[in-house]
Order: sequence, then structure tokens, then C-alpha cells
Amino acid sequence: MLIFIIRRLVSGVTVLVALCCVTFFLLYYSGSNIAQNILGEFATSDQIAAKEHELGLDQPLIVRMLNWFGGALHGDLGTSWFTNEPVTQSLLSRLPVTLALIVTATIGIAILASGFGIAAAVKRGGVDRLLQTGAVVGQAIPEFVFAIILVTVFAIGLGWFPATSSIAPGAGGAAWIASLALPVIALVINGLTSTAQQIRSAVIGELERDYVRTLRSRGTPEPVILFKHVMRSAAPAGLTVLSLHFIGMLGGVVIIEQIFALPGMGALAVQSTTLGDTPLVMGVVVYTVVIVIIVNLLVDLANGWLNPKVRVS
Amino acid sequence: MKFRPLAAGIAVLTAATVALAGCAGGGGAATGGTTAGKTLTLGSLSNVTSFDPAQAHLGHLMPTYQAAYDTLILREPDGTLAPMLATKWEYNDDQTQLTLDLRDDVTFTDGAKFDAAAAKANLDHFKSANGPDANEAKSIKDVQVVDDDTVRVDLTEADPAMLYYLSQAAGFMGSPKALGTEAIKTDPVGSGPYVLDKAASVNGSQFTFTKNPKYWNKDLQKYDKVVVKILPDVTARLNAIVSGQVDAVLLDPKTAPKAEQAGLTQTKWTNDWSGLLLFDRDGKIVPALKDVKVRQAINYAFDRKTMLKEVMGGEGEVTSQVFGKSNDAYIPALDDAYPYDPAKAKQLLSEAGYPDGFSMNVPLLPGTESIMAVVKQQLADVGITIKLSSVPQTSYVSDIIAGKFPLAWFQIFQGEPWVAIRQMITTDAAYNPFHTTSDELQADIDAVQTGGDKAGELAKKVNQYVTDNAWFAPWFRVNQQYFTNAKKVKVEVQIQQAVPNLYNYSPAS
Repeated sequence: MLIFIIRRLVSGVTVLVALCCVTFFLLYYSGSNIAQNILGEFATSDQIAAKEHELGLDQPLIVRMLNWFGGALHGDLGTSWFTNEPVTQSLLSRLPVTLALIVTATIGIAILASGFGIAAAVKRGGVDRLLQTGAVVGQAIPEFVFAIILVTVFAIGLGWFPATSSIAPGAGGAAWIASLALPVIALVINGLTSTAQQIRSAVIGELERDYVRTLRSRGTPEPVILFKHVMRSAAPAGLTVLSLHFIGMLGGVVIIEQIFALPGMGALAVQSTTLGDTPLVMGVVVYTVVIVIIVNLLVDLANGWLNPKVRVS
Repeated sequence: MKFRPLAAGIAVLTAATVALAGCAGGGGAATGGTTAGKTLTLGSLSNVTSFDPAQAHLGHLMPTYQAAYDTLILREPDGTLAPMLATKWEYNDDQTQLTLDLRDDVTFTDGAKFDAAAAKANLDHFKSANGPDANEAKSIKDVQVVDDDTVRVDLTEADPAMLYYLSQAAGFMGSPKALGTEAIKTDPVGSGPYVLDKAASVNGSQFTFTKNPKYWNKDLQKYDKVVVKILPDVTARLNAIVSGQVDAVLLDPKTAPKAEQAGLTQTKWTNDWSGLLLFDRDGKIVPALKDVKVRQAINYAFDRKTMLKEVMGGEGEVTSQVFGKSNDAYIPALDDAYPYDPAKAKQLLSEAGYPDGFSMNVPLLPGTESIMAVVKQQLADVGITIKLSSVPQTSYVSDIIAGKFPLAWFQIFQGEPWVAIRQMITTDAAYNPFHTTSDELQADIDAVQTGGDKAGELAKKVNQYVTDNAWFAPWFRVNQQYFTNAKKVKVEVQIQQAVPNLYNYSPAS
């Protein structure tokens, strides 16, 4: 088990370093006018040269990259060029919003999708057909469309929710719930049907296995078969699709956070990338990759715990 | 029976929605309550790069900086300059020494006293800190402390906009103890009416300011709390004002009708001009542009009225001059200097030796495709072919001011006469990349520079010259469409500024 974890961590770090290098390259070759953008349209060429020197933009790529990696190894991700705030501080002020959004949505998807998926697998018939249709509709309509509909109807039309975030540090729980409700619903609607579909298939697959027949022939009650045996074997499929959703949502929130003006990582990623704010973009990449690695590791561990076969292999 | 789990599911969903809605109602009521306790919430397009006063930038960011910092001079809504931290000012005869009397009863929020030494420290810092508006201090040679509450600014040459600059970025005064530190970049230390509440702010999303209890001028401090929400996306700004989350925002022709439908109050004023800058007046890239007749032909080629209606939804005023209406250099007749006349344009082109027209390369800024398509078609109608090359947003300004194109579209702020002249007409102006001039024009510019109180009036000659010689092809002055929730806030327009000064807002009741 330990070797398994270590192996996963080593490959995770490799991915992290590789991604950082690629991002740095891309930023280097795309952001040619950073000093001009910081100083605005009235800046003279002397001013721009001075600013570039101040930010180290006049140094060659390799020096800048080594400087950044040197800092990052000591936990110093630098200071944003466009807000002058330390990158770590910017990320820490925004991470809770994004994580709250994604974790709540994932839990929502897990609960509802299990319910629908199991119901569809056990009952089949109408519930199943509804789920099948829902899965197509849910996947066909992107989450930002749901988000815009929700804002228009519930925030602007009915005025039940704030149209843009009212989250600020020190804002109470009510502000958080009010601000996150609609984005969470948008994310849940989008992820719900496909996850339920996966769970349904896995449960059906298990129900048709020989051991279920054996259990039934021994007179084991149906609920015990379903929740103790079938669910345990079907869970890895559901977990995997949930983890994919979780990781997918890290990207999806970029648009959701823009629509709801939520002060999260996605909005930060958009702002910093358009401006070419290298330190901040690199910070966002590091944090996101780390989250993805951790989630994948946790899912693998959970699968191992649920299903001994995975541990052996 | 078969549907039971589904029904249960729906019940759970409904319950969850109702529960969440209940919470939202509570939250909403709480927000409403604090707003009634005199909170001003503004939606802003731009985030603050640094709260170091030397990094301040005019336009959209003015109210945010004004919360934390006072300027030496106050610019009234109509542009009149009035006392603020400086109570009196006077120039010497040749306008190269400006003496300012300062208040002696002002302290910064860290306890440091505002005096002549503090003013000098700020102006010196502004000149050396390489901020976005550092050019405002270009003509400052030296700053002398005359006595505790008198400071003298020595200039390298007369600068008719210096007093204006001291009401803008150059005039913001920060605590001398905090200037140049890392901390002031994210935590302002000024003498302004409000203090940043860092714990209730998220950089890039929201700045919350609370009342400065020791503020010296209670007349300018009309709120207990000022919140600035950073909303770069226009749809988010529309949603925020319609749902009552902000009290005032700037919208655009597309979003304005929806805000009007929602019963919000619109205030309009013109702030920018939109049109072409015909940079290559010496014909370095496109020889044809050297001929004034060709540049005039370009001006006659545009059907400004139709363009305004079709592209801007009618939100603006047609013009052929670059100086704004609230400006002493403005000449009403020049608004119609180049009426739509394609026949005359063709005739001028053939007189200039281009009966079959010519072609040139023009930059295309993403988002301006529709207006540039009109430009292309209107110029093609008189025989001029343009090839549009797409330039990314982040390089547009730097490319056009580097002289990479013979002409370019832009929307430019219509400032005070000398500000506008220095921005696009003098040989060192950013928007004069080929440094074109003439003896006649230079003499007119010099007259403005040393004109003192008459500078604005004298700038009329510069305006007449650049319009007659078709230095530009302006189309219209663009309306700022500013929306407020009249139940909560009253606002007064600030001329020549993207959004009103912070002092121009007051509670409705």
C-alpha cells in the first residue's frame, strides 16, 4: 500500500513539474506587453523598460524559470504583477470559495445520483427511461446555460438569490449559502444525470452476477443484497466518475464563477491569464494540479478500501 | 409504486431548494439592512494594481483611490479646481514656479502629519515610482519646502495642466512613513474619508472601506461604508445593479435597455471620442497619407450619423473634432466639418493623384469587428482598400503607439486641452507615433503651453489646425451610460471622467 502511495506521489510530482514548465513556456511566448499593460496607454518607452527591469522581464527565459522554481521550492510563489498581493495569499483567499462550490456540488451529485441510479437499476421501467432521457439532456446542455437560466429566473426575475456573489471575508454563513446555491445547483444538474447513468449500469451489471443469485437462493433479504453486496462492488465505478466530475468541475467553475462573479480560483485564473500575470497563473496551475493529484490518490485509496481486488493488483 | 423513489427524489430536491431559498432570503434582508445604514456600493470595471498613491490611475479607478487618499486640489464636477489639501495656489510670472499653501490640520491614518515635507515626499515619490500616470510629473523639476505649510513646485517649463494633474493621480497624498513600503501596495495609508477594511476585502473582487473617524472634511464623507465590487464583465454588472447588489455601475449600449426596463436611472455624458487616428501624416508607411487631401477624403467617406445609429445604438454625438464639448478648445462648427460626401472624397483622391485609390494595412482589435467592417466598406466605396490584421487585445495599444500601422481605430478620453494635446498632438505624444508636426502647429502649441489662464481658448487654434489638416477622422463622442438606483443614491456627473468622483455620490434620503 505504502509503495502504491509513494509511486502515485512521485508520478504526481513529475506531472506537476512538467506542467509548470509548459505553462511557463506558453506564458513567456504569449505575454509580450506586460509592462505596457501594467502602466497603461500613457506610459513612455523608458517607463516600460524600467518596469520590465523591475519585474525581471528583461532576463532570459531560463533564468526566469529557474528563479521561479527556486522560489516555489521554498514555498514562495512570488507576488502578483497586477495586484501586488503575494500569490499564496491571493490563492488562499479564493480557494475556500472554489472548494466549497465543488465539494458541495460533488456531495450533491453523489447523493442524488446514487438515489436515481439505484432506483433506475432496481425498478427499471419508467424511472429508468426518465433517467436515460435526462442523461442525454443533461449532457447536451452545458452547465453555463443552466447557470444563466438560473440567474435570470431566480436571481433577477424572482429576486430569491443574489445575482452576483455577496461572499466576502467575514460574511456570514447566510451570504455563503445564498451565493453558492445557484452555482451549486447548476453544477449538480450538469453532473447528476451522467453519474446516475454510470451508477445505474454498474448496479445492473452487479445484479446480474452469479453471487447475487446465490445470495437470493439462500434467502438473503433484498435490501441486504443491494446495500451490502451490490453497492460495494458497484461503488468503484461511481467513485471514478465522481472524481472525474470533481476534476472536470475545477475547469467548469472558470465559467460558472464568471457568471456569478464569485471570488474563486476560476475567476482568478481568467483574470490572471488575460493579463499575462505569470506569477499568479503559475500559482493557479500549481494549486490546481496539486488538488487533482490529491483527489486521484484519495479515490484510488477509497477504491482499494471498498474493493480488496484493487489493492492486490 | 414504480415512481416512488423519483417522487421522493423530487421531494428532497424541493425541500433543499426551499431551505436554500429561505437562507437566501435571510441573507438578502441582512444586506438590505446594512445598505440602509448608509453604505455606498459601486461596481467598478477595473481592479487596483497597487494602492501606492504613485501607482494611481485616472478614470475608472478614481473613486477607489479617492476613498483612501485626498488630492492636493479638488476638481469639482464641472471641472473647476477648488481647495482640498492645498488651500491656495499661485504661479510666478513665467508659470514655472507654483506655490501651494497647505492645510495644517490634516493627519494620515497612521498618525503622521500632513505638511510641506509630506507633500514634497509624495511628489518626489510620484516622479520616481514609475506609475501609470508618471507623465503628469514630467515637467516637475524640483519640489521645495518653503515653510511647514507651504510648498513650491519648480517646473522645467510651463505646464497648463499642472493644477489639473494635482487634482488627479499626481495629487494623491500618502503617509510619508508608508511611501515606498511593500505594505502600502495592498493597504493604503492616506488621509482620505475612508479606510480600507482589509479583513472584509478580497483583492480583485471587492474592496470595503469604513469611515475614517478623524477625517477633516465631514462634507465629503457622506457614507459610513463604501464597497467597491470589481465586475469587469458587463453582464455581471447589469445583473448586480438589477438585483440591487450595487448602487451604481457603468453599462454599455447592449445592456442599458435592460437596466432601463428594470426602472434604474440613467445618467449620460460624453467622455471619449471614437474614430480613426491617421498617424502616418508624413507618409512613412503609406505615402498617400502625406497628402492632406487624402486624409480629408477619408474624413468625407464616413456616414457618421448612420454609423452612430447602427453600431452604437445612437448613444453618442456625431463630430469631426477630437476636443470634447466640456472643453475650452471646443468649436461647435467643427462637429460638422466633414459631412458624409463620398463624391467629394473621390474627387479629393483624384486631385491628390490617386484616382484609383490605394490600399493599406489596418489593425483589428478583437471585439471591434462590426465597426471595422463598416470602416472597410465605407472606405472601399471611395476606392481605398484596407486589409484588416488582427492584433491581440494585450498588444493593440503598444503596437499602434509603436508606429506599426499607418492608422488605427481607437476610443480616446477627451481631457483638458493641454492633456489632450500632450496625448495625441505634440511630437512626443503617445498617439503621435511618427512625431509629425509643422511650424504653424508648433507655434500654436507653444502659445497654449505658455498661455496660462487663456490656454484653453488658445487651444482652439490647435483644434482648428488638426481638424483642417485631417490629423484624425473622428466619428462621434461616445455616451457614458451610467446607471444608479435612484431610491438609494444621487449622483452628479464628473466631466471628463469615466465615472463620477467618490464625492459626487450622496444618499437619496
